[in-house]
Amino acid sequence: MNCPEWEREIAGESESVALEEHLQVCGQCRDFARELELNRAALRTGEIHPAAFDAVRLRVLDEIRAKKRRGAWWAWSAVAAAVCIAMLCVSIVLQNWKNPAPPKPVVATKNTPKIERAPAPVQPIMKAHHRVYHKFGPVTASAGPAHNPEPLVVKMLTNDPNVIIIWLVDQKGDSL
Amino acid sequence: MADFRLTADDAGQPAGLIARAKLGDLDAFDQIMRLHQKQVLMTALRILGNMEDAQDAAQETFLRLYKSLNRLPDVLEMKGWLYRVTVNICNDVHRQRGRRKTEPLTGPEPVSSHADPEKAWNEVEREQLVEIALKTLPEKERAAVVLRDVQGLSTREVAEILGSSEVTVRSQISVARGKLKRFTDRYLRKHL
Repeated sequence: MNCPEWEREIAGESESVALEEHLQVCGQCRDFARELELNRAALRTGEIHPAAFDAVRLRVLDEIRAKKRRGAWWAWSAVAAAVCIAMLCVSIVLQNWKNPAPPKPVVATKNTPKIERAPAPVQPIMKAHHRVYHKFGPVTASAGPAHNPEPLVVKMLTNDPNVIIIWLVDQKGDSL
Repeated sequence: MADFRLTADDAGQPAGLIARAKLGDLDAFDQIMRLHQKQVLMTALRILGNMEDAQDAAQETFLRLYKSLNRLPDVLEMKGWLYRVTVNICNDVHRQRGRRKTEPLTGPEPVSSHADPEKAWNEVEREQLVEIALKTLPEKERAAVVLRDVQGLSTREVAEILGSSEVTVRSQISVARGKLKRFTDRYLRKHL
């Protein structure tokens, strides 16, 4: 084993008897081990100014207090919002209680029964002597004055020549 | 299971301290932070290489601890949990910072208590050298060597924190130490 290999053993903190024996006879490896120990000591000797510790603790405590304040603010905000909503609900209920709304028409919902087809209307048998005379007046609104349309006159002759039915119908279809 | 879990007595945190923190007692949480601040901030500083980012990472770590106090399965596992979260946050910060230009080291100067000024200067210089060298390491090698050499955890504990096998971690540490050594050698040959 050469010195670079022994140095890896030294850096790896080997506790072998062979290494101890090598260190007793090799000055180069002893220097290497001494240098490593000096480096380790240098890393350990550094001290930190006490003010640096105080600064960290102060910043941590300030941050925690700030978070607590923010947490309390959110809690109070939530409580205030809940109270406002509750008051709003109560006021709405009270208002409805004092001024009840008019009852709404009840619409019954019911399944529409199936409409059976009505039988075809029976056409009356018109006899030859049943003659109908139509005297058409103005049919459309533009044909005459709108405020006093001329009524439609329907004369119906019956079997009795002395009986004539006269039916006056206005333009809307209502009997006069 | 590694044996680096703190007991309540080791950490100096009575069970009541954690219970109070869970109930929202910020003084109790401040005490918990004091107990772990060196562990968290030093780890973050060594991984990230500058105090500003390290403080941000430590802040985020403690905020996550506060949020997770009720979810921690065992308060005695807090130390390992903190290491794991600190390393993860530092890796995130490091990736984000990778898009920016690397800045020189800033922050408080390291305090050396050594009596010999020349030796102290050498220590500071070596410390800065190693810090710079750490930045050149890949993410996993850097985390492994920081946890092993800075925090003094065992290979087994490091493996558990990083979610790797002991063999992998031992290899990562060995390679990382070799790289640090070569980096300092090159610097010393160039400047001395």
